[in-house]
Amino acid sequence: MRDPDSRRPLVSLTRRAALLALGAAGLARTAMAADPVIVGVSGPLTGPAAQYGAQWKKGFDLALDDINGPGGGIKGRPLAYQFEDSQNDPRQSVAIAQKFVGDQKIVVEIGDFSSPASMAASPIYQRGKLVQFGFTNSHPDFTKGGDYMWSNSISQSEQSPQLATFAVQQLGLKKVAILHLNTDWGRTSKDLAVATVKALGAEVVATEGYMPEERDFRSTLVRVRDAHPDGVILISYYADGALIARQTRVAGITQPLVAIGSVYSPKFIELGGDAVDGVYTQSNFFPEEPRPEVKDFVARFTARYHEEPDAFNAYGYDTMVLLAAVMRQFGTTRADIRTGLEKIRDVPSVIFGRVAFDPVTRRVAGANTANLQVKGGKFVSWDGKPAPRS
Amino acid sequence: MSWGTFLDYTVNGLVVGNIYALLAVGLALIFGVANLINFAHGSLYTVGAYVGWICITQLHWPFLLTVPTVLIVSAVLGVAIERLALRPLHGSSRIAPLLATIGLSLVLDQIVQLVFTPNPRALPSPLPDWRFQIGGGTIGTLDLLILGVGLGTAGLLYVFLRFTKLGWAVRATAQDIDAAKQMGVDTNRVNMSVFAIASALGGLSGMLVGMYYNNIDPGMSFDATLKGVVAQIIGGMGNVPGAIAGSLLLGLIESYGIALFGTSYRNLFAFVLLILILILRPNGLFASAKEMPPEPMTGSFVARGKPIRIPLPAIAGVVVLAALLPLAGSDYLLQTGTNALLYGLLALSLTLVAGTVGMVSLGHAGLLAIGAYASALLAIELAIPVVLAIAIAGVVTAVVGTLLVFPAFRMRGHYVSIATLAIGQIVALVILNWNSLTRGPIGISGIPPLSLAGIPLYDAPQAYWFVLAVVVALALLQARVLSSHLGRTWRALRDDDIAARSHGIDVNRYKAMAFAFGGFGAGVGGAVTAHLYSYINHETFNAQISVLALTIAILGGLGNITGAMLGSVLLIGLPEIFRGLAEYRMLIYGIVLLLLIRVRPQGLLGTA
Repeated sequence: MRDPDSRRPLVSLTRRAALLALGAAGLARTAMAADPVIVGVSGPLTGPAAQYGAQWKKGFDLALDDINGPGGGIKGRPLAYQFEDSQNDPRQSVAIAQKFVGDQKIVVEIGDFSSPASMAASPIYQRGKLVQFGFTNSHPDFTKGGDYMWSNSISQSEQSPQLATFAVQQLGLKKVAILHLNTDWGRTSKDLAVATVKALGAEVVATEGYMPEERDFRSTLVRVRDAHPDGVILISYYADGALIARQTRVAGITQPLVAIGSVYSPKFIELGGDAVDGVYTQSNFFPEEPRPEVKDFVARFTARYHEEPDAFNAYGYDTMVLLAAVMRQFGTTRADIRTGLEKIRDVPSVIFGRVAFDPVTRRVAGANTANLQVKGGKFVSWDGKPAPRS
Repeated sequence: MSWGTFLDYTVNGLVVGNIYALLAVGLALIFGVANLINFAHGSLYTVGAYVGWICITQLHWPFLLTVPTVLIVSAVLGVAIERLALRPLHGSSRIAPLLATIGLSLVLDQIVQLVFTPNPRALPSPLPDWRFQIGGGTIGTLDLLILGVGLGTAGLLYVFLRFTKLGWAVRATAQDIDAAKQMGVDTNRVNMSVFAIASALGGLSGMLVGMYYNNIDPGMSFDATLKGVVAQIIGGMGNVPGAIAGSLLLGLIESYGIALFGTSYRNLFAFVLLILILILRPNGLFASAKEMPPEPMTGSFVARGKPIRIPLPAIAGVVVLAALLPLAGSDYLLQTGTNALLYGLLALSLTLVAGTVGMVSLGHAGLLAIGAYASALLAIELAIPVVLAIAIAGVVTAVVGTLLVFPAFRMRGHYVSIATLAIGQIVALVILNWNSLTRGPIGISGIPPLSLAGIPLYDAPQAYWFVLAVVVALALLQARVLSSHLGRTWRALRDDDIAARSHGIDVNRYKAMAFAFGGFGAGVGGAVTAHLYSYINHETFNAQISVLALTIAILGGLGNITGAMLGSVLLIGLPEIFRGLAEYRMLIYGIVLLLLIRVRPQGLLGTA
C-alpha cells in the first residue's frame, strides 16, 4: 500500500463536508438577500385524486416562470409554493392547515381539492387568519366558512344555467336527459340545470346520478334511451365523460351529447376516441380565443409541456397569477393579502375577462364561455347550427 | 318494462359480470389454496394494464405478442410476491398475510403512479371492432374475447385441478396443508404455481378491461378488488366455477338494480343482496350445504402469542407525557396527535370486536359515519349542546351498529369481514341517497365546533386534551372489561364458539355486547371528528378508512389495547413524518408497513 494514511478517506470526507457546509452557507446568504414569498398548497399528490394535483403543479409552475422571470418576482423577492400532499383526505388537510397557520413563512394557502378535504380545514384557516383560497371549490357553502375563505372557482350558479341554455335555446333540445356525478358538485350543478331547462320551457325526462368510480354505464344508458330524450346533458369530468360517450354508441343512443366545461381536456378526446366526436361543450377558455392572456398561456404551456392545457391547468395558472398581483399591489403579509383580495380589480385572467371579487360572496363572477364542439379529434368553435335530429 | 328492455338489462348485466369474472377467478384460486383475500390482486390488474399499454402504444407490438408478455410479467411478479412477502410469514399468524397484501398493493400502486404519472391513459384495443346487435344494444369483439378468456381459463383450471398431478397437489394443499406435506407434496411449489397462474390472469384481465374502457389509471385497483371479492363471495369463496357464476350474477343484480331504482341505487341494491345471500347461504350460492366451510376452523384465525406486557407505570408515564404534548407549542403536532387519538378510538373499537371476539370487521368506517351524522344533526337541527350530542351519537352508533351487524353474528372468519364490508358500504350509500335527512352528496356544513359547558374547545390544545381524555377513559374502561368475566366470555367465543355455546353462553348476546361497546367508542370518535371538521359528506368516512383501521389494529396486535394506540400513532404519524418525500411518501410508508409485518407478524405488541 503506497499511502500509509488509512484515515485518508475520512479526511477527504470531512473536507467535502466542510465544502458542502460552505456552499450551504453561501446559498443561505443569497437567500437572505431575497427571501422567497411562500404560498402554501394543500392538495393531492398521491391517492386517487393525484392526477389533479399533478395538473395544478403544471399550472403553478408556468405562472411562476413568468412571475419570477420577466415579472421580477414580488417586489424583488421570488414567489414560491410549498406543496403538501393531503391525498384529498380531510384528516391530512386539517393537519396541513395547522402546519401552515403555525408557519409564519406561509402568507396565503391554496386548496384543497374536494369539498370534504377543503371545508374540514376551513375553521383552522379562519381562526388562524390565513386566507384559504379554494380555486376548485365550487361548493356553495365553501366561502360561507368565514371571511378568510375566498374562491375564484367558476360558480355553479353561473356555469350550469349557461350549459342548459346552450342545450335548449341554441341547440334546440326540447326533451333532455341529465347524467351527473353524484358528488356535491354534480348534484348542485344538476339541480341548477334542471331548473333552467324547465324555466326555458323544455322538459327533463330523466336524471341519473353516478359514483365517481363507476366505469360501466350501459344499464344507466338503457334507462336514458327509454326516456326518449332528444339530447343528453353530461355533468361529468373528462375521464367519466369519455367513458359515457363511448358507451352511448354501444347502447344504441345517437342523440347529441352536451357536456359541462369540466370535460374540456385533451384527455377527453384521447380517452373517448371517435365516440366523443360531435359532443357539444362549453369552455371557460379556448386556445383559439384572441385575448392576449389566453394566447400567451396556451403558447407558453405547449412550449413547456408539449401538450395542450386543460381546464385544471388553467385554474392553477390563473390562481397563481392572481395572488402575485394581489401581493404586488397590496403587500405580502397575511393581512395584506386578506384586504388585497377585497380591493383588487382588473387582474388579467385566462378564465375570466378581468378578475374582481364580490366582497360579500368572496367569489368572482363573469367567467368567459365559449361554445365548442368536438370535430375530427379537436375542440372547435360551435358552428351555430342547432343539434341534428336523430 | 318491455321484453326488449328486459333483454337489454340482462345482456348488460352479463357483459359487466363477465368483466368481474376475470378478477374473481384469480381471487378465488388464491383464496382456495392460501386461504387469503389477496388485496394485492387488484394491483397486478393495474400492472398488467400498464404493461399492455407499453407494448401496444409505445412499442407497437402486435396483440399476439402483447398477451404473452403481460401474462409472463404478471406471473413473475405474482411469484415474487409469494416468495418474498408472503412465504416468510407462513405459519406465523393467519392475519399477517392479509395485512401484507394490503401493504403490497399500496407499494405496487404507488410505483405504478410514480412511473406512469397519475393521469389516466387511453389503452386502445388493437382488435377490429366488429359489433353485433342484441336487442337495443350491441356487443363487440372485446366482449366476446373477455367471455372467452373467462370461460376458457375456468375450463383450463378445471382440467388442471382435476386431471394433472400438480392440480391434485393444489387441491390437496387447499384441503389440508399438513396432510399434503406428509404425502410428499411440495406445498411451496404449489403456492408458487397458484400465485403465478392467478397473477397472470389478474394482469391479463387488467389489460383487457383497460382496453374495454379505453382507460387505465394507477388508482383502478381498489374498486376492482372490491367487486372481485364480492363476486367470489356470492359464488362461494375459493370456488372457481362459483366465482364466474357469482360474477355474472353480481352483474345482473347491478343491472336490474339500476333498472328498478336508478343508477344511484346500483351498489346499495347489490350490497343488500350480498348480505341476504350471506345470511341464507353462508357458504355462497354454489357450495353444497354439507360442505365444510372452506375457512380456518374456530380459534385458528387469530394468531396466538404472548402479548408484550408493558408495566403500568410506563403506560401512566406515556399518558402523562401525552398530556404534556401541548407544551411543545406546535399546533401541527397537536393536530396530528388528535388525529392519531381519533384513529386510536376507532382501533380500540375494532381491536375489541376483531381481536377479542374474533369478528374481523372491514366496515368500521360506517360506525364513524353514523356517529358523525348523528352528532352533527343533533347539534344543528335540535340545537343540543355539543358534548351531549357526542354522547348521544355514541349511543345511537352502538344501537344502530349492533342492529346492522346482527345478521353477521352467525357467520365466521372471512364471511364476517365481507358482511361488515358490505354494511360499511351500505351505510355510506344510505347517507348518499337519504337526501331529506343527510342532504345527500351536498353534505352537512356549519357543524358547531367542540365546546364544553359553553366554553369553545376549538383551539388545538383544548381539542387535543378533550380527545385524549375521552380515549384514556374508554381505554381504561375497555381494559377493565377485558379483565372481567365479560372479557373471558368474549375470548371463549373467539377461541371456540361451540364449546362456549355448550356451556350455556348466549353467543349472540355477547357478540351484541361487544359491538355495542365498540360501536359507542367508534361513534364518539366519528362525532368528535364531525365537530372538528365542521363539514362532512358521504365521502368523509370511506372504505379506505376501514382498511386503515384494520391495518392499525393488526399492526398493534389484535385485541391489544396499548397495541391499538401504538399502531395508530405510528400509522397516522409516519405519513406526516415522511411529508418531505412528497410523491414518494406513501411508497415509503407502504415499505415500512411491510417491514413491520415481516418483523412482527403477530403485531407489534402481540395478540392479547
